[in-house]
Order: sequence, then structure tokens, then C-alpha cells
Amino acid sequence: MTALDQSGKTTARFTVRPALLVPIAAVGFAALIGLGLIALIGVPVHDAIAAFIDGTVGSAYSIAASINRSIAFALVGFGFVLANRANLTNVGGEGQIAVGGIAATAVALDGHVSGLPLGLAFILPMLAGVIAGAVWGAIAAIMKIKAGTNEVISTLLLSFIGVWLLYWCVQSPALLRKPMTSSATLPESLEIPDETKLPLLTGDYSFPLHIGLPIAIVIAVVIAVVLSKTILGLRLRAVGLNPVAANRAGISYARTVIFALASAGGLGGLAGALMLLGEQYTLKDGFSSGYGFDGLVAGLLARGSVTGVIAAALLFGFMRSGGINMEMVAEVPTALVVVIQGLIVITLAGAALFIERWERK
Amino acid sequence: MTWELFAVFLGSSIRLATPLLLAGIGEMVSERAGVLNMSIEGMMLTSAFASAVGAWATGDPLIGLLIGIIAVQPVALLQAVLSNTLRANQIVSGIGINILVLGATTLAYREIFGARSRAEIPGLGKIKPPLLGDIPVLGPAVFEQVWLLYLGIALIVLTALVLRYTSIGLAIHAAGAEPKAVDKSGLSVTRIRYGCVLFAGFMASLAGAFLSIGDIHTFTEGMTRGAGYLAIASVIFGKWRVGGTVLACLLFGAATALQFQLPALGVDVPNALLIMLPYLLALLAVGGLVGRQMAPATLGEPFRR
Repeated sequence: MTALDQSGKTTARFTVRPALLVPIAAVGFAALIGLGLIALIGVPVHDAIAAFIDGTVGSAYSIAASINRSIAFALVGFGFVLANRANLTNVGGEGQIAVGGIAATAVALDGHVSGLPLGLAFILPMLAGVIAGAVWGAIAAIMKIKAGTNEVISTLLLSFIGVWLLYWCVQSPALLRKPMTSSATLPESLEIPDETKLPLLTGDYSFPLHIGLPIAIVIAVVIAVVLSKTILGLRLRAVGLNPVAANRAGISYARTVIFALASAGGLGGLAGALMLLGEQYTLKDGFSSGYGFDGLVAGLLARGSVTGVIAAALLFGFMRSGGINMEMVAEVPTALVVVIQGLIVITLAGAALFIERWERK
Repeated sequence: MTWELFAVFLGSSIRLATPLLLAGIGEMVSERAGVLNMSIEGMMLTSAFASAVGAWATGDPLIGLLIGIIAVQPVALLQAVLSNTLRANQIVSGIGINILVLGATTLAYREIFGARSRAEIPGLGKIKPPLLGDIPVLGPAVFEQVWLLYLGIALIVLTALVLRYTSIGLAIHAAGAEPKAVDKSGLSVTRIRYGCVLFAGFMASLAGAFLSIGDIHTFTEGMTRGAGYLAIASVIFGKWRVGGTVLACLLFGAATALQFQLPALGVDVPNALLIMLPYLLALLAVGGLVGRQMAPATLGEPFRR
């Protein structure tokens, strides 16, 4: 991808690139403000940092939990980058995760899959999540093609609908709520059968890193190759740059838009399926709890680069874990992490103009 | 349905539509000038929080409202700088602001109220306009509303008149449709757009204050719950016109009111479906129920000389 940006000079490659420097500076700046806020709240900064570090890399468990979280963010982020190549902005990760989780739960619980061999017991629920997410994304694509609806607003509204659909599923015994044995029965699904749970890489619950990691790595490679080396990537880019010209060149606008948004949605759905099958095992209200927005931010920060998504997803995955531990141990609300994230996004959005100018020199 | 229940339904539809109306009209003006503010949600939340804190701290809801209005202006200014001067992606910057505000208000709420959550906050009073308020049954149930609603209606009428009959209205429209021509005529596109974003912020601050100190007299974390996005959807639904936007907001308000009304009538509809209904309607609306959309020509595009 960088090859296209270079204006023939090879020297630019090894100098400090603002596209890399600015995000690092933005994260540093936001972290500093975060530290200031901790001091303002009156928690000893040292305690807060200790709790943060403990929550991120303090134990094998917290490392694995952080990575699992990062996987979900990264998948949503990959989808964002892919769709963004066609100049489409998918902000519907939250809803796509929700419907992915719903579909995976439904198939795992009621799909008679637990007896299947060859890992199909967890592969089928996973695929169901992908399909559900892809459908959710495709709705926005069809609306865009048929009515010219801006996908930002449609994916956002679909997000709300997806999240309430999840609420409906876990509230209604006719859908996925577990049988009501008493009035105290929680609004959540039954736990999925053991066979449908994702295998852990080490088989050890104190280091619960699951099979989602290799899956995500494969997807990352595939997307990076598709975007930079294939006709498909070129088509996405052509439609993104100039849909009219792309159409003249024989590239179907409609097909490209559907492909881009359905893929982004499918990746969101996969993230939801992995979260459910790999970690949570029961579907609850608030299941997607901000993962979609974190993934979106990871995608935004990456400025089109798959490696960038991975870096941002890891950053946020560990930051969230640290933030949760900070709240539990040092009584610093997790909202602090949200503040830091917001600052990072705003700073980078504001700096985009300078990055472009600087890179062009 | 009895007349009493219908009156209550009408009244609560209007009450629930009010924040959307206020924010929606402000956003419509800004979009007419070419600036899309995804940050309406964050601006509303800022004001909902600031006015609640102001009213709680001073005991005077009017001061609370003022604090809410003042607190939103820096947020609106930030959006204006990002959208116009720094020519940032308007969607990205708006979502960034929403994330920041959600985090900041939640953090500040915990710090200020902490264990005292759900503190009783003095709210804005209701008024019953003469004549309309005296109609039997309908009067009290429909027209006895928080005065901010009536102020809002006045502001909306005023906005409609300014847009339609004044040179300011023409300049706003032109800034969105033909910014180059505006620039050649000697007016500053940037200045017009700044003004419109700040106006959207002002209207969103009234909307946010209505949510917290007007309607439920308390603040809850993230209490806007997507109302800002619904306001944006109502602008699209309303085809960037005052009348259409108002109708769209009333429709969303009525859809929300059904949530409380249908169970009262004994109609058994899943609660979740009813909560979803405004968003579902909004989706159908932006999905072409209203025909192909005619957005301002340069909506979302920063102006460059």
C-alpha cells in the first residue's frame, strides 16, 4: 500500500513517517490527559498505573483475555478498512456483533450441531454468526444502491436495531431466553454445549486464548493481500475513488458496494460469534458492550492499513482490560479509558490534513 | 381507546418528540449549510449533564439550563473547527466527540454524584397556555408541557421564517449548495458554516437540557441513547425542510410513546419491539420511504477555496 504513496523516491521509506508518528503522539497526548484526570479524581497515580498494568499483563489470564478482546476489535476494524477502501464508512459494528452473537447462540443451542465431527460443532455456529452479520451489512448496501441512503446513518440505525433485537432474544422465552424456572430467572440464554465452545489453544483455562487468534491472523493476511495485490482490491479502490469512472471501466458499483459492506458486516458477525463461543458462552443483554465502537475506532486510526488495525486493536484490547482492573482495584471509573479513546480519535481526525500535507512533501 | 388515553398518548408523543425537534431543526440548519454534525448526540449529552449538575448545584433549573447552553458551545466550536478549519472527516470527528463526551460525562457524573446517584434535581416548570389548555380532557393532557417546549416551538417558527424570507437564510442555503458562488459573492463560507454549527449546538443544548431537567429531572449515564442520531435521521426523513423534519420528529415521538401506551391498553407486543420501533421507522425513512433523497450538494464536504 505504501508503494503507491511514494513519488518514485525510495529514500522516503526509511525516514520517520508522520502517518506513524502522529498516531503515536496522539496516543501519548491522550494518555497524559488520562493521567492528569486520575490525579484530579484524587487516586494516587502510582496505584492507578499499577492496577492498569496488572490488568493488562499482570497474569497469563489477563494477557489472554486482552488478546481475545483485541481479536474482536481487530475483526471489526478489518471490516471497516475493507469497506473504507471503497469509500464506505461502516459504523454498524455494534449491531453486527449483536446479530452475530444471536445467530451463533441459536445454532449452538438449537441447531443439533454438538454431535458433529471435525469441529463442525463450533464451525457451524461461527458461520451462522458470519452470515447474520453479512446480512446486516448487506441491508445497508442495498439501501445505498436503491435509495442512495448514506451508509453511516443506516449502519448506525441498524446497530440500534441489532442491539434491541438482542435484548428481545434474551427477554423472550419463545426466543433464546433460558426456560423460566422462577421469576428470578435471569434474562439470558442457556449456556452453549461444551462441544460448541471454541477450543483453547493451550487447553488450559488459566490461559484462555482460543482458536479465534489463528483465525484472525489468517483473515488479516487474506485481507492485506486482497487489498493490495488482487483485482478485487483494485475494484474496491476504483469504486472508492470514482464510482462513475469505475462503472465505465466495467466495475459494477452495486456489486462492489454489496461485497464491501457484507464483508465488513460478516467480520463484525464473526467477532460476535467468537466472543460468544470463545468467552462468554451465554448470550446476555449488553453482550456487545461497546466492542463495535472500539473496533470502529481501531479501523479509523489505522488509516487503511491492516497492520495499523492490529496495532490499534491490541492497544485498545489491553487498554480496556487495564481500565476494568483500574476500576475494580483503584476505583478509577473505566469511563476514563473512553475519554482517552475519544481524545485519540479527535486528535487524529484533526491531524489528518497535516499528515496528508506532510506525506506529500 | 378512550379519549383520555388518546389525549395522554398525544401529550407524551409531543413530550418525547421535543428533544428530537429541537436538535433536529438545529442540525437541519447546519446540514443546509453543508456541515454534518454526528456530534449532535454528544452535544445533547453534554447539555443534559451540565444542566442537571447546574440545576442540582444551584437549586435553580433556569441557571442549570444556562449552564447547559454555555457548556455545549465549546463542544460545538470544536466540531466547527474540525469540520471547517482543519477539514477533518465530519463523521469521524463527530463520532470522536460523542465518545469523548460519553466518557467525560460518565466520569464526571460518578465523581460528582457518586453514591448520591438518582439525586433529586430541580426541573423546569410546566405551563398550560390559555385557551388551548382550557379544552376539556385534551387541555391538561396535551398542552400542559414544560415551557421549554413552547420556547422551542417559537424558535422553530423563527428559524423557518429566517430560512425562508431573509438573506441569512439564502446565504445558509447557498453555502451548502454552491459554496464557490457564495465565496465569489464576497461572503465567507467558513463563517456561515461556523455560525450554523454553533446554532446546531445551541439547539442541541436545549434538547439535552429538556431530557434531563425538563423531562425526567435526573441524569443517567449515556441518557441520550441515540436521540442525536434519531434527530439526524429525522432531517433526512424530512428532506432538509422544516416542516418535514418536524413531522418526522413527531412520528418518532409517537413511536416512542407507544412503548408506554400499548401495554396500558393491554395490547401484548414485545417491549423490545416497541423500543426498537423509532429506529426501525427511521431506517425505513432513510431507506427511501420518502423517495430519493435530495441532500444539500456539498453536505459533509469541507470547503476549500
